[in-house]
Amino acid sequence: MDRKLQDTLGARPSDSRPSKSKRDTAAKRIDFGSDGVTDHNILNLPTSDYKLLAAITLLAAIVRLFRIYQPTSVVFDEVHFGGFASKYIKGKFFMDVHPPLAKLLITLSAWLAGFDGEFDFKDIGKDYLEPGVPYVAMRLLPAILGVLTAPLMFLILKVTGCRTATAVMGAVLVTFENALTTQSRFILLDSPLVFCTALTVLSFSCFTNQQEQGPSKAFRGPWWLWLTATGICLGATASVKWVGLFTIAWVGTLTILQLWVLLGDTRTVTLRLWFKHFFARVFCLIIVPIGFYIGIFAIHFLCLVNPGDGDGFMSSEFQATLNHKGMQDVPADVAFGSRISIRHLNTQGGYLHSHNHMYPTGSKQQQITLYPHKDENNVFIVENMTQPLDTNGQEIPGPFAWDNLTADYVEDGATIKLYHVMTHRRIHSHDVRPPITEADWQNEISAYGYEGFAGDANDLFRVEIVPSMSDGKEAKKRLRTIETKFRLIHVMTGCVLFSHKVKLPDWGFEQQEVTCAKGGSLPNSVWYVESNSHNTLPEDTEKVNYRNPGFLGKFWELQKVMWITNAGLVESHAWDSRPPSWPTLRRGINFWGKDHRQVYLLGNPLIWWSSTTAIAIYVIFKGIAVLRWQRSCGDYDDVNFKRFDYEIGTTVLGWALHYFPFYLMARQLFLHHYLPALYFAIIILCQTLDFAAFRFSVRSVTPQPTFGKAFIAVFLALSIVSFVVYSPIVYGNPWTQDACNRVKLFSTWDFDCNTFYTDLSQYTTQYVNTGDDVQSDATATQPQGNPQIVHSPPSGNVTPQPEQPEVVSHEERVEYRDQDGNLLDEEQVAAFKKDGQVSFQTRYETRTRVVNAEGQEIFNGEYAPPHPDVEGQNPETGGRRDEKPVGNRPASAAGEGKSLRHEGHGQPRPASEGKEATAQ
Amino acid sequence: MAAGNPGLTTGVEQNADVRRRNVPGARKSNGSVAASAVSDDKKNRSSKSQLQSFLAILDEWEFVIAPLIFTALSVFTRMYRIGLSDIVTWDEAHFGKFGSHYIKREFYFDVHPPLGKMLVGLSGYLAGYNGSFEFKSGEKYPEDVNYTFMRLFNSVFGVVCIPLAYYTARELNFRRPTVWLISLMVLFENSYATISRFILLDSMLLCFTFTTTFCWAKFHRLQKESFSPNWFIWLFLTGLSIGCVCSVKMVGLFCTALVGLYTIEDLWNKFGDLKMPKVVLAQHLAARVVCLIIVPILVYMFSFYIHFLILENSGPGDAQMSSLFQANLRGTEVGRDSPLEIALGSKVTLKNMGYGGGLLHSHVQTYPEGSGQQQVTCYHHKDANNDWFIYPNREQPDFSPIDPIDPLKFVGHGDTIRLIHAQTGRNLHSHHVSAPVTKSDNEVSCYGNTTVGDDKDHWTIEVVSDVASKDRSKIRTLTTAFRLRHTSLGCYLRAANVVLPQWGFKQTETSCVKDNRPGDVHAHWNVESHANERLPPGNPGSYKSPFIKDFIHLNVAMMTSNNALVPDPDKQDDLASQFWQWPILHVGLRMCSWDDSVVKYLLLGNPIVYWGSTASLVIFGLLISWYLIRWQRGYRDLNQADIDHIHYSGLYPLLGWVLHYLPFIIMARVTYVHHYYPALYYAILTAGFCLDWLTRAMDSKPRWALYSILYGVVIGLFVLFRAIVFGMEGSNQQWAHLNWLRNWRIV
Repeated sequence: MDRKLQDTLGARPSDSRPSKSKRDTAAKRIDFGSDGVTDHNILNLPTSDYKLLAAITLLAAIVRLFRIYQPTSVVFDEVHFGGFASKYIKGKFFMDVHPPLAKLLITLSAWLAGFDGEFDFKDIGKDYLEPGVPYVAMRLLPAILGVLTAPLMFLILKVTGCRTATAVMGAVLVTFENALTTQSRFILLDSPLVFCTALTVLSFSCFTNQQEQGPSKAFRGPWWLWLTATGICLGATASVKWVGLFTIAWVGTLTILQLWVLLGDTRTVTLRLWFKHFFARVFCLIIVPIGFYIGIFAIHFLCLVNPGDGDGFMSSEFQATLNHKGMQDVPADVAFGSRISIRHLNTQGGYLHSHNHMYPTGSKQQQITLYPHKDENNVFIVENMTQPLDTNGQEIPGPFAWDNLTADYVEDGATIKLYHVMTHRRIHSHDVRPPITEADWQNEISAYGYEGFAGDANDLFRVEIVPSMSDGKEAKKRLRTIETKFRLIHVMTGCVLFSHKVKLPDWGFEQQEVTCAKGGSLPNSVWYVESNSHNTLPEDTEKVNYRNPGFLGKFWELQKVMWITNAGLVESHAWDSRPPSWPTLRRGINFWGKDHRQVYLLGNPLIWWSSTTAIAIYVIFKGIAVLRWQRSCGDYDDVNFKRFDYEIGTTVLGWALHYFPFYLMARQLFLHHYLPALYFAIIILCQTLDFAAFRFSVRSVTPQPTFGKAFIAVFLALSIVSFVVYSPIVYGNPWTQDACNRVKLFSTWDFDCNTFYTDLSQYTTQYVNTGDDVQSDATATQPQGNPQIVHSPPSGNVTPQPEQPEVVSHEERVEYRDQDGNLLDEEQVAAFKKDGQVSFQTRYETRTRVVNAEGQEIFNGEYAPPHPDVEGQNPETGGRRDEKPVGNRPASAAGEGKSLRHEGHGQPRPASEGKEATAQ
Repeated sequence: MAAGNPGLTTGVEQNADVRRRNVPGARKSNGSVAASAVSDDKKNRSSKSQLQSFLAILDEWEFVIAPLIFTALSVFTRMYRIGLSDIVTWDEAHFGKFGSHYIKREFYFDVHPPLGKMLVGLSGYLAGYNGSFEFKSGEKYPEDVNYTFMRLFNSVFGVVCIPLAYYTARELNFRRPTVWLISLMVLFENSYATISRFILLDSMLLCFTFTTTFCWAKFHRLQKESFSPNWFIWLFLTGLSIGCVCSVKMVGLFCTALVGLYTIEDLWNKFGDLKMPKVVLAQHLAARVVCLIIVPILVYMFSFYIHFLILENSGPGDAQMSSLFQANLRGTEVGRDSPLEIALGSKVTLKNMGYGGGLLHSHVQTYPEGSGQQQVTCYHHKDANNDWFIYPNREQPDFSPIDPIDPLKFVGHGDTIRLIHAQTGRNLHSHHVSAPVTKSDNEVSCYGNTTVGDDKDHWTIEVVSDVASKDRSKIRTLTTAFRLRHTSLGCYLRAANVVLPQWGFKQTETSCVKDNRPGDVHAHWNVESHANERLPPGNPGSYKSPFIKDFIHLNVAMMTSNNALVPDPDKQDDLASQFWQWPILHVGLRMCSWDDSVVKYLLLGNPIVYWGSTASLVIFGLLISWYLIRWQRGYRDLNQADIDHIHYSGLYPLLGWVLHYLPFIIMARVTYVHHYYPALYYAILTAGFCLDWLTRAMDSKPRWALYSILYGVVIGLFVLFRAIVFGMEGSNQQWAHLNWLRNWRIV
C-alpha cells in the first residue's frame, strides 16, 4: 500500500495508475503515512522560535499600525463597511453581498469605542474628526488581524517543515507587502478574510502533518484539535466573504485525497476504521462550518430588527418580520365591492398604483405603476362585470353598489373591473405600446374613465388563480387575501397584467412599469391581494396575515438574494481589473486622494513578481516531472523530490483555487480579490526557496545553509526597500512628484503623481488638523489641469466653487433614495436617524401628494445638480449651448438626479458592492 | 473488416469469457486467428442439419443483413408521409430561406457555418426551386417549391445514421443483441425521426456526428496496425468527418473535443512506451496533426470558400463584413462611383473595422445618463443617420462645403478635423464623462453645430495602413484604415461589440478609449461610402480583400452574434427549454401551430430511450466508482482486456455525452430540446455498454429474452407515439392519452 500512496501523492494530477518503476521502490512504510514526514507540532517549537515569533509580531504591528489615524476621512469602501456598522448599531436592516462576520466584528469594535451610529460614511473623503467617529478603533480590528497574518505565515511555514530562516522570510514578506498592508489599514473585509484564510491554512497544515505521520497519530488529541480548528476556521472564512468557499474547496479536495489514500491502506485501515475517519471529517469539515455560518446569520438577524434600506430586496413575508413592518391581520375573503390593494409577487416593486398623472406617450391616459409604499392611491374596488340588482330588480349603478350587499366572494375565473377610488378611473388596457418597453407583445395599461362612467369592455379582467403558488384548498378556488396568487387576464385582448424591473422615467416618478403582456413570463404575471376590507364583513370574519418564514426561511431567502445581487454586479467600474492582470500587478486601485496625498492599493512589485515566478517554476517543474514520470525515469524514488512535488503542489492548488474561479465571474473584480491567492503565492515562494536552499542535494552534496541564509537576507532587504519606496501611497504620506514619477514603472499604475507637491517642504500643514481644510482642499489645484465636470454635492459639507471651472471635485456621494428612487435630502436623512418608522411612512405619502399637486416637477430645484453644459460650469461647452435641446427629453433632464453618480476620472470610488443595495 | 473479428461473428453461442479471450488474440495475430476461429465454427456446424447451416449463413452474413433491414425500416420511419404537411414548419423558415439565398446567390449572415445550409441550397437546386419563396413560418408552400424533395434530401442524412450506429456498436465490441438494441434505439427514436423529416440542419449534424464516432471507433480498432493503409484511411476519414460536422454547426466542436481527448491519451500512452522509437512517436504525432487538425481546418475553410464563391451578389448580410468585401459583391452600392480620396466637405460613412463592426451612427435621442447629449452608436443598418461631413477644425478658416471657389483640400495622416452628423448637424464630441457601459472609457456624443462647439469636437486622423498605397497624406475610400484620436483628450474612437441597453436601441456602444493600442482593430475605421460633388468618381473597390481575412472576419462575427442570443427574461418562451429538462424528457416542443386544421408535429423522444439512457449514465458512474474503490482496496477484479473494454467502449461514450451536454449548462443563450440530440447518441451508446456489461455472465437464452423485451418496448413506444412523427391530423384531443407529462404539451 505504501507504493500506492506514493503514486497517489507523487503523481496526483496525472493519474494514480501504478507505474513499473515505482513498484520497484523499496517499501519504507506499511501504512497510510507518508515518507519523509516528521512531526512539526507548532506547540513544541524551540524557545528561540517563539522569541522570533514575538519579534515578528511586533515588527508587523509597527508596520501596519504606523499612523493608522491617517487619513482622517473616509477611504474607499469604508463607505460601505463603515456604513454597515452604523446600521448594525441602529439595527436597520440592510442587504449586502457579503456574509456578516467581519462586519459584526467591526461593529463590535466601533460599539466598544462608543460609536453611536450617527455617521453615515457616505462619501470618500468625508471627515471623521469633527463628528468624533471612533474610526481608529474601527480600523484597528482589520489592522490587528492584518498584523497577525505575519506570525501566522511563520507558523504555516514551520508546520510544513521549512527552516526557521525561511519562516522568518515569509513573515517579513507578508509584513512588507504593500497591498496587504494597505488593505489592512482601513475598515475593509479583506484583511479579516486573509486572516481567516491564513488561520485555516495553518490549522489544516497542522492536521495534515498529524495525518501524514500515520496511524499512531490518528484520533489523538492534536489530530482532533486541528481537524476541529480547520472546521471552525472554514466556517469563519466563509462567514467573512464567499471567497471562503474557495478555501473550503481546497480543504475539501485535499481531504478527499487523504481519504482515498486511507482507502488504499488495506493493512492498517479496516473499513470500520475508514468510516470512522470519514465521519470525523464529515462532522468537522462539513457540519461544524455550516453550523458556524448559520450561527453568524442568527446573530445578524438578532442585530437587524428594524426596517432599513435593504427591505426592498426581500419578500413581503421577510419584511413582515421586521419591527413596525408587520401589518394587522386582514380579512381573508375578497368579495365584490372589497377595497383591496394588489401587490406584485416577483419583484419588490410594490403595489398596483395609479395617480392623477397621464402618460406622456401612447394613449396619454392616466398612469398605472407599481409603488413600493402603502398609499391611498393603491386602493381599488373589485367590481363585478355586471352591476347587482336591488330588491326591485333594478340595477344599482356605481362602484359602491356592493357596499350594502352581503359579501359575494370572487371565485376563480370571475370577470372583474378594478376601480381606482381616488381618481374614479378603472384599470384599462388597449392595443397601444407601453411607455418604455416597446415590444410588440406588450400593451399599455392605463386608468381610464371618470366619476359616474360605467366603464367599457376594455376594463374587464378575468381572475385566474395559479393553484401551484396558492396556499390552501380554499385559496385555490376563490380569491383570498395573501394566500391566493393569481393572474389578471384582459378579456378583450387576452394579455396578462404584468410588471418587471423597468423604471419609468421622471414623469412616472421612477416607479415601476406595469404593462399587459401576451406571453410574459409567469413569475412576473402573478399578483396577490395584500389589504382588503368590505363594509358588510363582520368583525369576527376569518383573518389572515403573512406567514412567518422562520429563521431558516429567512436565512435561505437572504442567501438567494445575496447570490443574485452578487451575480448582478456586472456594471464596469472605474477601478476594476480582470484576473489576468493580477499576478503581474498591472493595475492598482485608487483608495483615497485629498490634500496632495493619496492612498493607492498597489502590491510590493518584488514580492508580487517573485511569488508569481515561483508558481511558474513549479508549473514548469510539474510539467517536466509528469513527462519524465510517463517515461519511467524514477524521479519519485527521491523523498525530497516527492515531498517537493506534494507540498508545493498542495499550496499551488490552494493558489489556483483562490485565483482561477474569478475567471468565471462576470461581476466587477478588483485587485484586492487576489490577496488570498497572494498569501498562498508567498507560501509557495518560501517553500520553493526552502527546498532549493536547504533540502535539495545535487549529486549528494547538500548545499551550504549559509548561502541560503545570505540569499534570504538580501531578498528581504530588497523587499523592504521596495516597500519603503512605495510607502507614501500606503500610508497617505507626503511625497514629491519627482519621487513618484521615478518609481511609476508602468503607465498602467495609474496613481496620479501630479497630486503631490513638487517639494516635501510644501507639506507644512500638520495633517491631523482638518475642519477648514476639508472646505479648502476641494478647491485645491487640479491634477493635470484637465477640465472636468464638476458635480457639486447637495450637502453643505464640501462645495466646489462653481466659478472655478478647473476644479475637479474630489468628492462623491452615496445617494439616499427612497424605494421608488426619489433622492432624499439631508433633512430627510436626518429624520431617519431618529428611526421613527411610522412617520417614515407618512412622510412619503405626503411627499407623493405634494409632488402630484406640483405637476411634473418632482424634484425641487435644489436636488438637481448643476449640469455642466447647462449651468455654464464648463466654459467651453456651456453658455453657447443656446439651441433647443434635441430628442424627446430635455438635455438638462438627463443629468437630473443622475449625473451625481458620475464623478470625474481618476478619483477614488467605492466598489459598488453595497451601493446596489441603496440604488434599488 | 467486420469479418476479421471473431468476437462478433461467433458471439451468439459463446459465453463472454471465451469471447474476451479471443479479442486480444485476434488483434495480435492481425486477423489470422479470427479466420481460423471462423473456420472452426464452420467445421462444427457442418455436421448438423440443413436448417442449422442456413442459420449459420444468416449468422455469417448478419453484418450485412441486419443493417439492411434496419436501413429499410429507417427509410420508412424517416420518409413515410414526408410531404403531408404543406406548410413551412418550425425552423424551415430559417434554413429554407438560407437555401434560397444560395440559389439567388445573395450574401447573407447567419451564426451557423455554411456547409449544412449549402446542402439545403443544393437540395433546392436539385428540386428545381428558383429561390423566390420567402419561407415565412407557417405559410403554405407554393406549387413551384418541391418541398417534398427537399425534405427527402434531408431525411437521407437521418437514414444514414442507422447503419452507422449499427457498425459503430460493432466496432465498440458489443455483443450482437446489444448492437441490435443500439441500432433500434436510434432507429425508433421519435425525436431523431421527427427532426430528420424537415428542412433543418439537425439531421446533417447528427449524421456527421455519427460518422465521426464511427470513424473514430474504426480507427481505434486499427490501433495495432499503425501506418497500414487502412489505418491511414480511417484516420483521414475521421478528420474529414470532423471537418464536416464543424462546418454544419459549431456543436461539432464537442465531437472534435472527444476525438482530440482520445488522441491526446493515445499519444500519451505511446509516449510512455519506452520501447517505441522516438521517430515512430514523431510519425504518430505528425500523422495526427495532419489528419485531425489540418484536414478538418481545410474542410472548414473550404466550406467558407465555396460559400463566398456562391454568394457573389449583395444581400442582407453585407453589413457584417468589411467594406472592401462588400465593394466586391455584385450589385452593391458600396464603393460604386465613390471618389477615391477624401477631402474637406466630403460626406462619408465610417465603418468600424473590428469584426462585426458597424457604421458610426447618431440619432436625435440623447443619453439618459452621463452628459445627456445626443447618442453616438455603431449600427449595421444602412440609413442616412450614418452620414458624416468632414469639416475643418475650428482653428482653420471658415469653410463652405459647397463653395467651389475654395481650393480642394484633401485630408490625411495627422490632420485635425471635425465630423458633423449630416442629419442633425452636430459635431462628434467627447469629454471627461464615463461612457454609459464601459465606464473606464470616455463618452462620445454629438454636440453643438457648425458654430457652437469647442476643441473637444476635434479629431486627429492617424492612418494605420492602406492596402492600396503607401502614401499617408490622403485618406482613401475603403482601403485606408485609420484611427481617430480625440485631439484634446488623447483617447481613440472605438466600438467593440458592447451592446447598449434598450434606450440605445441595442446598438453598439461607441466610446473613446484612453489606452493607445495601435493593433486594436475595434479602434480602426475606414470610409465606406463617400460622396463629394467636386471630386471625380473612382473605383476604390478594385482591391480584393484576401479570403483568409474575410474568413476570420465572418467567423468572429458569427461567434459574437451567437453569444448575443440571450433570452428576454420577461418573455415566456414556450419553445425554449433548459438543459436539465432534456435527459429526463421533461418537455416536448410543438413544431407548428396547434390548430385542428394543421398537420401537427411534436419534438418528443421515445420515453424508454431517454429515460433508459439517462439511467444508464448513472449506472455507469456507479459501476466505475465500484471498480475504482475495489481497486484501491487491493482487489483485482478486471484483467487488462476488461479495463480496455470499459475504457474505450464505456468511458469514451460517457465522455462524449459530457462534452455534448456540459457546454449547454454553461451557455447563456436560449437552448432548445434539439440541442440534446448529439448527446443523446452517446447516452444510447453508454446504455448499450451497461446492458452489455451487466449481462455478460448471463446464459444466452435469458439474455435473448431480456433483449427481446427491450426491443419490444422500444418499438412499441415508437409505434404508440407514431403520430407525433408522422403528423397529427385533426383535433389534438385524439392524443390526450399520450400526454403523460403536462410539459409534453401534446394537448
